[in-house]
Amino acid sequence: MEPQLSWLDDPQVFRVGTLPAHSDHFFYINEQEMKAETSSLTQSLDGEWDFKFAPNPQARPQHFFQPEDDRRNFTTITVPGHIELHNDAQIQYINTLYPWEGKEYRRAAYTLGQNVEAGMFSQAPDNSMGAYVTHFDLPQQWAHQRIAVQFDGVQTAMYVWLNGHFIGYAEDSFSRSEFDLTPYVKSRDNLLAVAVFKLSTASFLEDQDMFRFSGIFRSVQLVSRPKIHLEDLTLKPTLSDDFETGLLTVKAALSGERQVGQHIELRLLDATGATIATQQQAVKTTDATVTFDRLTLPQVHRWDHHDPYLYQLVLTIIDVTGHVVEAVPASVGFRRIEIKDNVILLNGQRLILNGVNRHEWSADHGRVISMADMQADLKTFAQAHINAVRTCHYPDQIPWYYLCDQAGIYMMAENNLETHGTWQKLGAVEPSVNVPGSLPQWRAAVLDRAVNNYETFKNHPAILFWSLGNESYAGEDIAAMNAYYKSVDPSRLTHYEGVIRNPAYEEQISDVESRMYAAPTEIRQYLMESPTKPFLDCEYMHDMGNSLGGLGDYMALFDEFPSYAGGFIWDFIDQALWVNDEVTGQPVLRYGGDFDDRHSDYEFSGDGVMFADRTPKPALQEVAYYYGKYDR
Amino acid sequence: MANTTDNLRVIYGDGVLGVHGPHVYYGFSYDRGGLESLAIDGKEWLYRVARPAFWRATTDNDRGNHFSERSAMWLGADLFSPCVAINVQVDGVDLGLPLAPENNRFSNHEMASSVIVTFTYQTTTVPSTTVAIAYTVRADGTLAIHEHFGGQSELPELPVFGLRLTMPTVASSFDYTGLSGETYPDRMAGGTTGTYHVDGLPVTPYLVPQEMGMHMDTKQLTVTRRQTLNNADPDAAPFSLAIVGTPTFAFSCLPYTPFELENATHIEELPIPRRTVLSLFGAVRGVGGIDSWGADVAAPYHIDATMDHECDFVIRPE
Repeated sequence: MEPQLSWLDDPQVFRVGTLPAHSDHFFYINEQEMKAETSSLTQSLDGEWDFKFAPNPQARPQHFFQPEDDRRNFTTITVPGHIELHNDAQIQYINTLYPWEGKEYRRAAYTLGQNVEAGMFSQAPDNSMGAYVTHFDLPQQWAHQRIAVQFDGVQTAMYVWLNGHFIGYAEDSFSRSEFDLTPYVKSRDNLLAVAVFKLSTASFLEDQDMFRFSGIFRSVQLVSRPKIHLEDLTLKPTLSDDFETGLLTVKAALSGERQVGQHIELRLLDATGATIATQQQAVKTTDATVTFDRLTLPQVHRWDHHDPYLYQLVLTIIDVTGHVVEAVPASVGFRRIEIKDNVILLNGQRLILNGVNRHEWSADHGRVISMADMQADLKTFAQAHINAVRTCHYPDQIPWYYLCDQAGIYMMAENNLETHGTWQKLGAVEPSVNVPGSLPQWRAAVLDRAVNNYETFKNHPAILFWSLGNESYAGEDIAAMNAYYKSVDPSRLTHYEGVIRNPAYEEQISDVESRMYAAPTEIRQYLMESPTKPFLDCEYMHDMGNSLGGLGDYMALFDEFPSYAGGFIWDFIDQALWVNDEVTGQPVLRYGGDFDDRHSDYEFSGDGVMFADRTPKPALQEVAYYYGKYDR
Repeated sequence: MANTTDNLRVIYGDGVLGVHGPHVYYGFSYDRGGLESLAIDGKEWLYRVARPAFWRATTDNDRGNHFSERSAMWLGADLFSPCVAINVQVDGVDLGLPLAPENNRFSNHEMASSVIVTFTYQTTTVPSTTVAIAYTVRADGTLAIHEHFGGQSELPELPVFGLRLTMPTVASSFDYTGLSGETYPDRMAGGTTGTYHVDGLPVTPYLVPQEMGMHMDTKQLTVTRRQTLNNADPDAAPFSLAIVGTPTFAFSCLPYTPFELENATHIEELPIPRRTVLSLFGAVRGVGGIDSWGADVAAPYHIDATMDHECDFVIRPE
């Protein structure tokens, strides 16, 4: 297939040639590798890439992906990183309006009955692009294997070539995109080329309150699939009705060459490493899926915030000669989330959410954050008794989910979706050009985001809620996302706040009544008037500047209403960037509007309980006090 | 009961009523309209006269709520309200304002056990009201300060109410007995009671400089400096000023006035610290937190300017 620039304009083209999303499990060639946590089946491509910036699509280098092309005018850029922080494109912070406000006139395709507007993004003067190139060799032992490349986050639309051959196209900036390289990969001197465009129709779906960046901003790695490979793992741990017995179903989907005589061994270990269950299932040539008999664990050790106990599951694929050809570990936490009598229960106990919304943020690197940043955040969570996090408003880096499993942090795992500027203008609700709304042409794109989120993260016990997105109004498309989650995962709750803007959908969307910034009196009123759903604040206590007064009025609701489940403070960390002061040369923190970026929402980027440099704001002691008081 | 010790030497000057006490000198300026000198063991603590405080720098929530727009006249009142009346009482005798020739009858050896000087300020608000600051110098040299705000219908809510003392140089540290961290009436549950030492005059690095550094429910505060502006004072030993509550007060101790904070859009725009701005408060508005685009501070944390307010502090020369 030939790549088309016009895909940028068409909401119905959001992935071309990508591999289906699958669980984020690690895989190794044997158990020794697994224990050492170093897989010979992955190879990082992070580091310095060759790079050329173009201010618009027409100025892009046309043939840079061809091995023989002249790229002597390329510079280098660090992957992962933002093009804006490489000082090619202007840094901009904006909240609800679209970043092109006042500069370009745009209405999302199909919203006013019109078709795709040719050139809206593909011929736009404000659609900057980056041409990325890297070279790689394959490890010798990867010869004749299936080779893929995984991009963990690329904003906003990307085209990929290998050795001059077009491989695929992807949107959904905050989800992993994986492409099969096998047909064109060589043992040595491969040329991987990526064209990244800042804007596409996906931009309408990614109107989050944040700095608007572009580029390859999360890690990139090559993966090699063994001849037979555990492609996707589905774990469904839960508890019996008396919460004493753990129940676990395990399903493995295989890719590659299935043969008679292959089998998968399952071992379940407790946290001390003692084996408590084993099982073996034969691989069938007729069915790629291997389903294990349900495991039953009497007197199971439950998982929760105070005791995030994880069992370890090990699956090994054994070939016909009896040798292990792949080993896959997974953590299993037994817990049960449900709603009874309008009360959210975890393991039969009322759930109390002492949470924060958390953007991924670093004052040095924007949304490129390190493992050390994540660990520092969890340390702050522990100190301030924060027990829950909403991944606002996109999926986070994969390691964060593992860390939350281990730390016992309840997750509201949110899709990459916000279309704020399509339905709310200057504070007024005006959904005439809302997407996705009920438009069939936008449904597949948002459903794809739901699939990516579910399939990637489904095995993380920390996730209690699937969140359909943020501030996108409500219609058939978001109802379809809700229905999707219910069909694949009835074991978790769905969450979406925006349905309160269109109550016609309240029975189809969201298991919980979720609001943002409702005053305690309004919440009390809802809870006193025969509520039909338990209540939570997906955002509350807007901690902008010197704020967070009155938290006690919210916490008092816990004592009054069992249906009150608490909420997530907006938000965890200020978004501001270190720059050298143009006058003194000293490092200073700058916010929206400080880069001559117009339109901007200025200091509205700073609403954290932490300053942008990860030092605590004075208000954090108030959070620690109340969250500690209700730390049950 | 008659006082047995007339420790205070009173100087009935033509522009200043001077009071010498043990280790301490207070100068009440008639022309500047306020306490202009507070010197302990010869070290001056005031840069300009102490004045009533009505304004705090706008917080992000104030801006979103339009509070500063509604209450803007308090900013002008804080900066510009003139002193309109001065009254002197010595040992219970009301002397009015003892200007010449009235003060010609005094000598250089006038002693007393109690001096009360009251400055009355007329606010530059519409409508106007009056604020009286009564300074009582006691026989032991302590200074009791009583401030009264006269409620007036139609006045907008107050951001704060108290007294602002601007010191000539930057404090090296302060120590207080009260709550940990930065606290406000609607955000003080997390404060832990204790005695705290704070080095320097830290500025809380809010992205946009705004109201900061409040300490609610304080029993005692000691501010320590090492430097004066007196060219004949080479002594670099630390010296302190102690304030006690009756029973408690709120304060902030910053290198900036609310107006300097108000003016800056970034921390780096704030001037080089030169003074110590000690604000003592009897009433503080909450900071709020429901949202930053309109939600008001919860009702109990407003300061109603249609009602009278009082505050009291005692300065105790060590």
